[in-house]
Amino acid sequence: MPDNNEIFAKVCELLKPYNPENRPITMQSGIVSDLEVDSVAVFDLVMGLEDHYDVSIPMEMVSDIKTVGELCTAIKQLAED
Amino acid sequence: MSLFDKFDPLKSRLSLVEKLIGKDPLGVKFDDITDARHGRIGNREILLAGTNNYLGLTFDKDCMEAGKAAIDEYGTGTTGSRVANGSYSGHLDLEAALADHFGMPSCIVFSTGYMTNLAAISGLTNEDDIIFMDADAHACIIDGTRLTGASTIRFRHNSPADLDKRMSRVKEKKGSFFVIIEGMYSMFGDIAPIDEFLDVTHRHGGYLFIDEAHSYGVFGETGCGIAEEQGVLDQVDFISGTFSKSLASIGGFCVSKHAEFEIARKAMRPYLFTASPTPSNIAAARAAVDKIRTRDDLRTNIKDRAAQLHKGLSDLGFDLCADPSPVIAARRPNEAVCALEWNWLLENGLYVNIAVPPGTPQSTSLLRISLSAAHTEEDVNTIIAKFSELKDNQADLMQSLMKMAG
Repeated sequence: MPDNNEIFAKVCELLKPYNPENRPITMQSGIVSDLEVDSVAVFDLVMGLEDHYDVSIPMEMVSDIKTVGELCTAIKQLAED
Repeated sequence: MSLFDKFDPLKSRLSLVEKLIGKDPLGVKFDDITDARHGRIGNREILLAGTNNYLGLTFDKDCMEAGKAAIDEYGTGTTGSRVANGSYSGHLDLEAALADHFGMPSCIVFSTGYMTNLAAISGLTNEDDIIFMDADAHACIIDGTRLTGASTIRFRHNSPADLDKRMSRVKEKKGSFFVIIEGMYSMFGDIAPIDEFLDVTHRHGGYLFIDEAHSYGVFGETGCGIAEEQGVLDQVDFISGTFSKSLASIGGFCVSKHAEFEIARKAMRPYLFTASPTPSNIAAARAAVDKIRTRDDLRTNIKDRAAQLHKGLSDLGFDLCADPSPVIAARRPNEAVCALEWNWLLENGLYVNIAVPPGTPQSTSLLRISLSAAHTEEDVNTIIAKFSELKDNQADLMQSLMKMAG
């Protein structure tokens, strides 16, 4: 099972192309509000995570995720199921 | 805090563009529309190349006469839904004509294309089902998935292999798999490999729903769209479309090879609780269906014009998003450059669409052209010439941008 640090590192890696200004990323960073990733790009980012962890993250779940930390928690839970 | 504070980011983005070009690009006002190809703004005649009027039927004499006659016979509106106020013979006749055109047993007509997808997606699925949706799906498809209890999983654009992978990931399901794609995608003008999507969808026991809003009338031997063009129309479970493009009216439809689709009419909220399409809209669309079935010449012309324009813009060095189709989109470096160029074209008599994120795939900024069968070879030469002049004026445009920035 992936641990929190590994998932966080992967999320940061996949966020890179959507974060051209290199804003610092923490667990508390708002994906849209702080990092200014647009709504469609968030879903593209999620597809990369789905493939890496071989999980499905439905769109209705993505809509409820606001921060990097919430995204990491969702992936951890889905990977454990 | 005001209710409207949430619009501040949108306001500042728009005001930047307005400062740059002196107008709101989303608020163009035409003083007149003179035919399917021309409009007028003030004293300036505008060549229309961004109206999705694919077959150019908005000024077709028969379609116009049919619309006028329907007003004389049935009045201007239905003033309610078909459930409350009843169906008019025109609604039923149009449903029968579309079902016959597609060779399918069932068709339901809706009040707009947008509502067609809202109604069909939210009406056909529930919390037991799983929706798989192409990553570049139109907003009305996304909004349709938000109205249902079904889980929605996005797959990579135009990739049957990716769909296969994501469908295989689902270990258990109570209901059905419902896969949604489009025939031709409205922003890039790229086309789905429907035969491959059918194979994957049906192998997993799912239903395939195709939005042919931008392809109905234009593709296929009789104009049914991409599924007909690829020879697989009889295998598709559901096809939706709109009246506001090739059919030159307003409204929408969904046909199905499943006769049981008819029962959904009693359960689709955007059908049940909306006023039905007006008699004139229905009559104009009905006349246009006959045109689509018989006017091969319109399809031939729009294909020729698409090939001509695609070659012309490619030769000028524009980075185009897809192979020739009635939608030809050129990638631009960013939103500001795109807005400046779009405005230059309009000021010089050519109307195209400006398309920017998040309404576009891959966060691209686009100058998007939609061709019409009404366009002549000379019209397309004019479009190419305007884009050529635009390139010649690029240095001046960049200078004005730098001035603004600095």
